[in-house]
Amino acid sequence: MSEIQNYTAPRTLEEAADVLRAGNVTIFAGGTDVMPQMKTGKLKLQPTLMNIRHIPELRGITQAGGTVRIGALTTMTELLNSELVRERFNALWQACDHFASDQLRNAGTIGGNICNASPAGDTLVPLLVLDANVVLTGKPNGAVTTRTMALKDFFVAPGRTRREASELLIAVEMPLPPADSISEFFKFGTRPALDISTIAIGLAALREGKTLRDVRIAFGSVAPTPIRAPQTEAAIEGKPLDDATIETAVAAAARDIHPISDVRASDWYRRELIHNILQRMLVHVRDR
Amino acid sequence: MSVTVDIKFKLNGVERRATVPAQMSALDMLRDRVGLTGTKYACGEGECGACTISVDGQTVNSCLMFAADCDGRDLVTIEGLVTSPLGESLRKNFTKYGAVQCGFCTPGLMMQASHLLKTHPHADRDQIKRGIEGNLCRCTGYKKIVDAIADADIDAA
Amino acid sequence: MDAIVKTRVVDTLIGKRIPKMDAPEKASGKTRYIQDIDIPGQLHAKILRSTEAHARIVSIDTSAARALPGVHAVITAADIPWQRPIGVAKDHLPLKRDRVRSPRDEIAAVAADSEEIAEAALKLIKVEYQRLPMVANVEDALKPGAPILHDEDMAWTTPDGRTEILHKGSADNVAMTFNYAQGDVAQGEAESDVVIEDVFWLHYVTHCCMGVSGVIAEFDADDNLLLYSNTQVPFLHKREFAEQLGIDPGRIRIIQPPIGGGFGSKLDIYPFEPIAIFLAKLTKRPVKLVFTREEEFIASPTRQPVLLKLRSGCKKDGTLTFRAVETLHDNGAYTSWGATTPFVMMQTVSSLYRVPHCDYRTRAIYTNNPYAGSFRGYGNLQATFAVEAHMDKLAEAIGMDALEFRLKNAQHQGETTPQGMQFKSCGFQECLRTAAERSDYREKQRSNREKWHDGNPIKRGTGIASMLHVGGGAKIYPSDGCGTILKIDDFARVTLITGASEIGQGSETVLSQLVCEELGLPLSSATVVNNDTSITPWDVGVHASRTTFIAGNSAIGAARKAKDKILTAAAAKFERAADSLDLQGGFVVEKNTGVKLIELGKLIRSLHFSDKAELVMTSFYYEPPSAHQDRNFKGDVSAAYAWATQVAEIEIDTQTGIIKLLKVTGAHDVGRVLNRLGIEGQIEGGIVMGQGYALTENLIVENSIVRNPNFRDYKLVTAPEIPDMDISFIETMDGEGPQGAKGVGEAPAICVAAAVANAIYNATGVRIYALPFTPENVYRALHGHAQAPIWIPEL
Repeated sequence: MSEIQNYTAPRTLEEAADVLRAGNVTIFAGGTDVMPQMKTGKLKLQPTLMNIRHIPELRGITQAGGTVRIGALTTMTELLNSELVRERFNALWQACDHFASDQLRNAGTIGGNICNASPAGDTLVPLLVLDANVVLTGKPNGAVTTRTMALKDFFVAPGRTRREASELLIAVEMPLPPADSISEFFKFGTRPALDISTIAIGLAALREGKTLRDVRIAFGSVAPTPIRAPQTEAAIEGKPLDDATIETAVAAAARDIHPISDVRASDWYRRELIHNILQRMLVHVRDR
Repeated sequence: MSVTVDIKFKLNGVERRATVPAQMSALDMLRDRVGLTGTKYACGEGECGACTISVDGQTVNSCLMFAADCDGRDLVTIEGLVTSPLGESLRKNFTKYGAVQCGFCTPGLMMQASHLLKTHPHADRDQIKRGIEGNLCRCTGYKKIVDAIADADIDAA
Repeated sequence: MDAIVKTRVVDTLIGKRIPKMDAPEKASGKTRYIQDIDIPGQLHAKILRSTEAHARIVSIDTSAARALPGVHAVITAADIPWQRPIGVAKDHLPLKRDRVRSPRDEIAAVAADSEEIAEAALKLIKVEYQRLPMVANVEDALKPGAPILHDEDMAWTTPDGRTEILHKGSADNVAMTFNYAQGDVAQGEAESDVVIEDVFWLHYVTHCCMGVSGVIAEFDADDNLLLYSNTQVPFLHKREFAEQLGIDPGRIRIIQPPIGGGFGSKLDIYPFEPIAIFLAKLTKRPVKLVFTREEEFIASPTRQPVLLKLRSGCKKDGTLTFRAVETLHDNGAYTSWGATTPFVMMQTVSSLYRVPHCDYRTRAIYTNNPYAGSFRGYGNLQATFAVEAHMDKLAEAIGMDALEFRLKNAQHQGETTPQGMQFKSCGFQECLRTAAERSDYREKQRSNREKWHDGNPIKRGTGIASMLHVGGGAKIYPSDGCGTILKIDDFARVTLITGASEIGQGSETVLSQLVCEELGLPLSSATVVNNDTSITPWDVGVHASRTTFIAGNSAIGAARKAKDKILTAAAAKFERAADSLDLQGGFVVEKNTGVKLIELGKLIRSLHFSDKAELVMTSFYYEPPSAHQDRNFKGDVSAAYAWATQVAEIEIDTQTGIIKLLKVTGAHDVGRVLNRLGIEGQIEGGIVMGQGYALTENLIVENSIVRNPNFRDYKLVTAPEIPDMDISFIETMDGEGPQGAKGVGEAPAICVAAAVANAIYNATGVRIYALPFTPENVYRALHGHAQAPIWIPEL
């Protein structure tokens, strides 16, 4: 374990940005990822440990115009308790419900889940299909600057993102979906929660009769990062959702994914699950 | 050694101060610094719930919480819970319904049960099972734990 | 007469729902487990483990670790030349001298002012290895030319300088063999109308006690050892530690703080215990050593993985003809109790059902894998899994109803099996009928089967399995006994000092019940002392579902002695015949009328200054009416046998392989229910442990390395997954049992996996021969992508 030389708990975003600018910082909020990763040596701690939990700008779920902004410190429990999330972002709500356990939902934040960048991160698949953007703030040149990036471009590799070391992820923003849109989430497991997903599937779209438009599909745990599935999306986009379309879509999904074998599942089984469950989800959407 | 942090927090209703290494967990602080051993270590990874405590009214795995992050917060451990009417009701019920065998997971379950009853006083059996899904028990098979929580005095919550 | 009859309705404690006596303390977080105990001046110890599965230790450099401030001692085998091999076969040095055989192996240990310093010191120890070829599975271990893991003698230098060989080197990797036979299997096979043979694979699982392993060792000024230990067998371990130290066992005292779970894991000593003792001896300070969870997964015992070949036959009329079993146990790198599970397995093979001809053969094979210890059920989960699969398959082959087939072959009361087991009480037939009726087994079997091809990917299945297990102790050691000291003070409070350890199962409560029942006292009158070998009488340990039976009989014996003495004194005082008096509700009463003569405490106080009040009773139950097996494994090893039938109902998603265990209907012959709350808790907990064995738990060992040493990937059952449980008690009132009771601790975990396997077949028409039934394994089997277990070709 490396030594922590400095512990800081800034009260404002600007203070946090200053700390980050000075460099060599490990950021934590709930601690649910940093603490165990630090103990196992998976995460090498930087000399400065920064607790961002006291920064009010990072809190709250707000709606402005057609955009919903979720502060990075929003916990899974807060998302579950949000009427807005429950009613308009079903896939995200479902993912939060399947997230670990009550204790971890109380401590774990959406910002942490995103920055941990696990291929199995529970909220990442729904956020991808909900067209989420991440909002990053930094003070690289002495002035606070904020940039927004599509979440689908954010992940680089397991545990690695395009966040600069000097930046803080302050929020995630999503367009408010039209009322007739659907969003679904499936996490594979033998129990409701306390499980690392073997595979996860997110699906969002606008329904026009028997046809889906603006189709967004994402998969978790089948590639080094959570991924959008462009070939699968194209197979469904604008076509009547009949057996033939569904068959084409699940075949396309096999080309979108690159699963590996690990202690949780073999690549073969992950492929089978993506096929069977995506098919089941699409049939479910069609028949509803 | 790592830098230390001076913190002030409320523990079971009493204000107190501590100086803790930056990387120390709240669990280690409670057990090794404060000397309250009712909160248990059983996995250190947030997978078992034996170390559950309440922080600002929310239950968390204290093994995953930085001790330094306790600064300014209101902590309740099993030692505090059992002095409250809800804690007493739960203790009586855990005893009466046979929810305790080796007992190692019990303090964490008591903490989680109290939180569940405060947030969902009318939880049904399935909701209770979901509410304690983050608490592992190797002895009882959980049924009697659910019995104990289902019949707790919710007026005390 | 009516009035008299009414007064004779005596309040009894037997069969009531009695809360566990220590529950309030535990639920308050006040109970001090070993992890919670700190001794002033104690040092903290950590162990350095091998990074190699099989290697020569070329050199160990501890100089940097020794130089670290706060480090009091760093030890390797070289520092403890007198260390003695431990374990069932004495093939295991606590600190490995020149060779490691498993990635868990202990190489060095540190005692320091804090855990952090000890941890830092470990990182400074440099070990140079010379890698040896390894054997990661039984098949490789049996191949010609395979590396031999214990080819060298394991010697020990006695304190007086003699060298003794405790474990002889071997030319092969066979750690232990068991061969049992009854009748003539060839004849049985010739008489059979149907013969089937299958190979089963039973996987690695581990105990996962919520309290991790720990020990505190301390020597006094005279070099007597005080050990705070989680052992389940303190008296036997006293002897082992004494041998280790070359001292008289009388100089060792073991205190057992409350244990955070046992389940058989603490029946053997493991290297960490002697290591803590060595460090305490060298530093002359108390030394505390507590595992991390990862260490618990890597370095505590497992259930034994077994490859099992079963060949069975029956006649068309449903009579079983023969059974032949061959098993290969993966022993791991060293020999603990896991190698001896055939004792139990062969009983299930020979005696659960009536089989005239049996062969049973086991070879336990050394590999570089984690080594197998004892675990609730002790081989019986594995044996039952295979036997009950064949009961279903044979029944189907002859077109007989599976329940009828079982009833036809199930044991009855009064039978003596060819292996010599005498079933003085036996509720097996009633267990079968009760579980089947209450679960609507036959109708569900029929209707589920009709839906095999209905196109719905979600199927339901129901399966039945039964078990036989020792329920009246087990004569494994020279004695199977337990002693009791019972003290009654002058306020009629009883102190029950028993050799029986409490590991969460509720023995202290049930023993108090039995004593208070005899003495007509409320349960609140009893205090139990059960955790200090300097105080408690001898006992052979918590195992084999024996405590209620053996310690219960012992406690009753002491209570009866006390009762005799009290009634004799009361008889003298009231000038009545002693046999006309009784103890009820805290009073001496007239037996026939229930009329109270004197409060018990008052009577005792009146005797206080006389020589009659010596109310300290000793009693023992060291020789239950059971027998050691002879050299052919024949003999009535237990004073009573427990029976159970469980019906499992499942839902299976054929598109994912996910199985939900919906309901378990259990009928258990427990002799008699003593504490309804306690026995329900044992059975529910056992069922859910069996559920984990069947569906979720899997210790993944690849190239001898545990790949999932954490609860994230080693999945214990969580609350939302538990089945409905409908439990019936079959009370056969065993003649030798305390108040008629038999042991039940292990029984409920034994048949769940077997019943689930039969339910999978009932749901899908696919039989799966390998555990666990995790989603991928099930999915593969359902879709023809599973590799069925195959027997290792004879080499």
